[in-house]
Amino acid sequence: MGRKLLLEKAHVPGIRSYEVYRREGGYASVEKAFKHMSPDLVTEEVKKSGLRGRGGAGFPTGMKWSFLAKPEGVPRYLVCNADESEPGTFKDRYLMEFIPHLLIEGLIVASYALGSNRTYIYIRGEYAWIVDILEQAIAEANANGWLGKNIMGTGFDCQIYVQRGAGAYICGEETALIESLEGKRGNPRIKPPFPAVKGLWDCPTVVNNVETLAAVVPIINLGGEEYAKIGIGKSTGTKLISACGNINKPGVFEIDMTISVEEFIYSEEYCGGIPNGKKLKACIPGGSSVPILPANLLFKTAKGDTRIMNYESLSDGGFATGTMMGSGGFIVLDEDQCVVRHTLTLARFYRHESCGQCSPCREGTGWMEKILKNIEYGKGKKSDIDLLWDIQRKIEGNTICPLGDAAAWPVAAAIRHFRDEFEWHVDNPVESQSRNFGLAHYADPRPVPVTA
Amino acid sequence: MPTIYIDNKPYEVKAGKNLLETCLTLGLDLPYFCWHPALGSVGACRQCAITLFKDKEDTQGRIVMSCMEPVKEGACISVSNATAKAFRGQVIEWLMTNHPHDCPVCDEGGCCHLQDMTVMTGHNYRRYQYKKRTYLNQYLGPLLNHEMNRCIQCYRCVRFYKDYAGGEDLNVFAAHHHVYFGREKDGILQSPFSGNLVEVCPTGVFTDKTLKQHYTRKWDLTAAPSVCQHCSLGCNTTAGERYGKIRSITNRYNGAVNGYFLCDRGRFGYEFVNDENRITQPLIRNRVPEAVDEQSLMDHLKLLLTQSRTLIGIGSSRASVESNFALRQLVGSENFYQGVSLDEAALGKLIASILQSGAVHTPSLKEMEQADAVLVLGEDIWNTAPIMALSVRQAVMNSAAANALQQTSIAGWHDAAVRELVQDNKGFLANAGLTASPLDDISTCTLHATPHDIAVMGFAIAHAIHPGLPEVPQLNNELAAKAAQIAKALQQAKRPLIISGPSCYNEAMIKAAFDIAGALNTGERKAMLSYVLPACNSMTLAMMQAPSFEKSIDRINDNTVVIILEQDLYRSIPPAKANAFFNRCKNLIVLDSLHNGTTEKAQVLIPAATMAEADGTLINNEGRAQRYYQVFVPTTGMVKESWKWFWQMRSLQTSSGNGLELHPNDWLTKLEKTLPQFNGISRVSYPPEFRIHGQAIPREPHRYSGRTAMLANLAVSEPKPLQDNDSPLSFTMEGYPNRPPASLIPFFWAPGWNSIQSVNKYQQETGGALSGGDPGIRLLEQKTGTPTAYFTDIPEALPAPRNKWLLLPAYHIFGSDELSAYSAAIRELCPEPYIGLSTQDTAELGITDGKNITLVAEGEEYTYPLKIQEHLCNGIVLLPAGLPGMPALTWGSWATIAPSLKNNAV
Repeated sequence: MGRKLLLEKAHVPGIRSYEVYRREGGYASVEKAFKHMSPDLVTEEVKKSGLRGRGGAGFPTGMKWSFLAKPEGVPRYLVCNADESEPGTFKDRYLMEFIPHLLIEGLIVASYALGSNRTYIYIRGEYAWIVDILEQAIAEANANGWLGKNIMGTGFDCQIYVQRGAGAYICGEETALIESLEGKRGNPRIKPPFPAVKGLWDCPTVVNNVETLAAVVPIINLGGEEYAKIGIGKSTGTKLISACGNINKPGVFEIDMTISVEEFIYSEEYCGGIPNGKKLKACIPGGSSVPILPANLLFKTAKGDTRIMNYESLSDGGFATGTMMGSGGFIVLDEDQCVVRHTLTLARFYRHESCGQCSPCREGTGWMEKILKNIEYGKGKKSDIDLLWDIQRKIEGNTICPLGDAAAWPVAAAIRHFRDEFEWHVDNPVESQSRNFGLAHYADPRPVPVTA
Repeated sequence: MPTIYIDNKPYEVKAGKNLLETCLTLGLDLPYFCWHPALGSVGACRQCAITLFKDKEDTQGRIVMSCMEPVKEGACISVSNATAKAFRGQVIEWLMTNHPHDCPVCDEGGCCHLQDMTVMTGHNYRRYQYKKRTYLNQYLGPLLNHEMNRCIQCYRCVRFYKDYAGGEDLNVFAAHHHVYFGREKDGILQSPFSGNLVEVCPTGVFTDKTLKQHYTRKWDLTAAPSVCQHCSLGCNTTAGERYGKIRSITNRYNGAVNGYFLCDRGRFGYEFVNDENRITQPLIRNRVPEAVDEQSLMDHLKLLLTQSRTLIGIGSSRASVESNFALRQLVGSENFYQGVSLDEAALGKLIASILQSGAVHTPSLKEMEQADAVLVLGEDIWNTAPIMALSVRQAVMNSAAANALQQTSIAGWHDAAVRELVQDNKGFLANAGLTASPLDDISTCTLHATPHDIAVMGFAIAHAIHPGLPEVPQLNNELAAKAAQIAKALQQAKRPLIISGPSCYNEAMIKAAFDIAGALNTGERKAMLSYVLPACNSMTLAMMQAPSFEKSIDRINDNTVVIILEQDLYRSIPPAKANAFFNRCKNLIVLDSLHNGTTEKAQVLIPAATMAEADGTLINNEGRAQRYYQVFVPTTGMVKESWKWFWQMRSLQTSSGNGLELHPNDWLTKLEKTLPQFNGISRVSYPPEFRIHGQAIPREPHRYSGRTAMLANLAVSEPKPLQDNDSPLSFTMEGYPNRPPASLIPFFWAPGWNSIQSVNKYQQETGGALSGGDPGIRLLEQKTGTPTAYFTDIPEALPAPRNKWLLLPAYHIFGSDELSAYSAAIRELCPEPYIGLSTQDTAELGITDGKNITLVAEGEEYTYPLKIQEHLCNGIVLLPAGLPGMPALTWGSWATIAPSLKNNAV
């Protein structure tokens, strides 16, 4: 059983309230940091912990913090990115809903480290009820002296504000988020200047994911070095995975990044295997934008090593045979799933969420959706597959923000690994409307599903 | 200068630029959409992709957007590389997926940047086989047509409209491939610079609605370089004609003057040329018929002019230098007046003498954009000189950007990044005026006060900067505080700019502006002083020191012949006074292009050419002489340039020559000899015999179609092309096919570049001066070592007479100008006449907004609805100046609000 640092107490009855949270040892990290540590020391601990951003990109958090410009007399801001909108990802919602004080605690420590007197939680518009939970938690923290003026006599002032987004996926991109927070249209900015130098209201700003900030609490409590011992290599600490799709136990799991993908899917502790004895066809391990992997490449890397649920192992083999850890939105597809339809669903999502600023993404995503729709509904041509490939190739890497990449990768991976399924749709327009392509030679499901 | 390698060829290029502008400057063709030389780079369209290599050994390279990459020493890039080319082709293909391909019915066809770029990338086959997205269009007012389906989402419209011009009612709505550029709901676009969207939009989303009424393709226009006549700034325009009608006005780039943009008055105010009310035939009153032929006219004039009578000539501020000077020559310098009121003539003379003294520098509009602190003293430039207001806005934005950029290594062309850095910071602008102005939104310090208070504050600023100047006695606290604040900001600036003008009819204000500029002009600091003038050629008459015609009244008797040049005196002085003047004129000759009150009084009426049918020179408010060229020869009537008529009259007196041998340049040479203050003006244009490789400059593009057939309904044989004896331009499509000299560019075109974007092929560097230097000859240069002759006569505050209001004009961009109001579209935007009073005055009078009130000025009653002016100070009554149908008033005089109506209202 993996070690739990974030969700350990998530199911203690009443943990949402301050009293229970405090009784269970909450706010210890604030006490520790404020009483015994300087802001720089906190940053140092986070650096030592090897914590990587949990929003998807996996950039080392400590390093991000140390890039923050600190000019005299200019306020600095910490912004918590709670605009969790990636299809398949719901770990932050879980964390905020069940144990909101953990996030508040992490925010206070991080604000202290970064010198942010006004800290914002930018939350996805659809998470309306969580806003109430967070505001309740903030009010409680205020009432108990963890927020406000001169916290614990350190002279440090901090206040946390919750700002609801209006439901745009793009506002999860940090610069678009800042634009939106400033009350503008949520279009991504071109970098430089980077937010660490000129971010919110032209001031140095750090934008971190909910889980990243929550992870600061155990890092301070345990110490960075101790935290870094959990996991393998550069994948330190624990990671929340939101698993969904064709599995017996969908939900949010905390893993310590040492278990194999196979174990994660089939063990009772985690996903509990695939329902109805179906076979595994494919999996998207890190949220909808990361490349889909067929079963034969999922459990073993191209070199034949066991694939582990961590940053390095999942991306082993690059895009040709690997994928990414992403935001931890783990989507499992069984043998009855149609990859074309699945890709169409994702393409529709990215078309709808493109902000409309730069041409490749704005025009390319819509076009891809239309082609996929034709193929899926038996109206496709062979040349459409090459056209799709061509369009996604030209989108990838050529847009202002990573949304273009996010839209291109799922299409690219689907064609790369499941080309014969696309071709089957084109060649059998009638049959494809009545039955599923099923598993193919490329999928290598486990011979006998082993129940752990 | 760094060396960069483009496709393995070394080029020495300018540092600090981006690679797109560098490539364009080098003459390479690289497609682009979202970038604009005046708007900078945002990297949104991804069209200008090139391949950037790590070093010379790198063969792979990566795609970058050339508009976002700075020039770096030794950089290796490729424009022609296959990957980049394929990507550019793909971007066009993306953009064209939803474009309706309706070029045959699109007004932009033939001058469309999207067409040019599509051809340039070689995209010619559609792989997209789905339905296109469609939009509903909006009604945007009488000036612009909206066709959103054509949009390629380059965002240039909103970047120009909002960021550059400060408009608030055009925006981008919705997201993904359904983004919409328009207003929140149908309605008239509020910005007076909205017409530029026609040129800023790379395709046909925003097109000229007035052109639509009489549509002609760009390639079928006969065009000539022109100069805008609708204010004193002298923006350069291109006027296009077909079948004897002016079809459109487009911007003619002049790096020193208007740059890329025009105001809507200038762009859409051309239709007076096509007006039904045009005078096309000479008329002699009380003849049957009144319309006469040229010979009868000349016979009649000979009688009038040769019977040794006194001639009085009244020059016009909307007629050319040549016409005014020809009149002056005809009547003699002592008999030459100008058709403005005594006050206006005095103010013009004061401004000209200040600028002619050479003590301070008067800047071009381009220089104004570089100012780091601006003071506008009493002139409503938003309405009297709109493009100057746009330049002031750029100065405010540019200086804020310059401050922000000091701390970073980000380049100034990096528009999005610069805007993030700047946020809401603004450079220093102090705007002092009678009432609220859109410039108040961007000003650091705003003052709404009486002309006297503004002037006095000006003197206080001058005193604060230069303590040797007299102190203003009994200055109130508010003015003192503002004066101190403004003086401090101006002193901290390196290039402060002071703007004033005569629109408040206050002499002290003009003097104070000079004192401030003079006081600032010390050491490293280079102060700039700019005055707005009432009309496009006011400067010429001010420099000629022509007195007001009101001074001539006593000299007029039954024996005097009065010649009025191209103007309506009813627009200068109140009707009663004007009638009195005309009653004395028994022999009145009027030359004009449109019928008006003055032409009704004429005994002899002579049809004068408008700017479209004439060659002439105008001198703008900075003393820049610029030539406008005849666009077409009117086929009906006897319309001729006034200077030609005058020379014909002159020849009647001397009975030698027919007077047609003189060209505009000859007039200017004569002018230089007669009045040395105009020295240099003859260099304004090339002589008529100027040829390049023996060829004239064609007014028509080489694709001009239907030339041989367009008159086939009249005669099947092709007529001989018309000759132009006054300029090096030809009336045909034959001629020198390449780039003409800067002042002679009839239209912008380059191979592969049919749209106005082709201007980059005419520039020394992209966004810089035109090749060969920007057109225009400056006559008013600063003379080093000239002592500053300060004005020390600070006016004393005169107590307002009891129950009297100071009568002042309110200017309106649409309506206050005489000629532009002939355009139906402009007329639609003109305000209705009104009487403006402050909120407090209104309350005290007990009258309500919108109700008719009566103003009594000089014994005349004027009744209009009341419009409360929230920011106007008490004691002033504002009436819109120059609105069609509104009489002129004696501005700056005292008026009463009729007591009878006061009682009615109670």
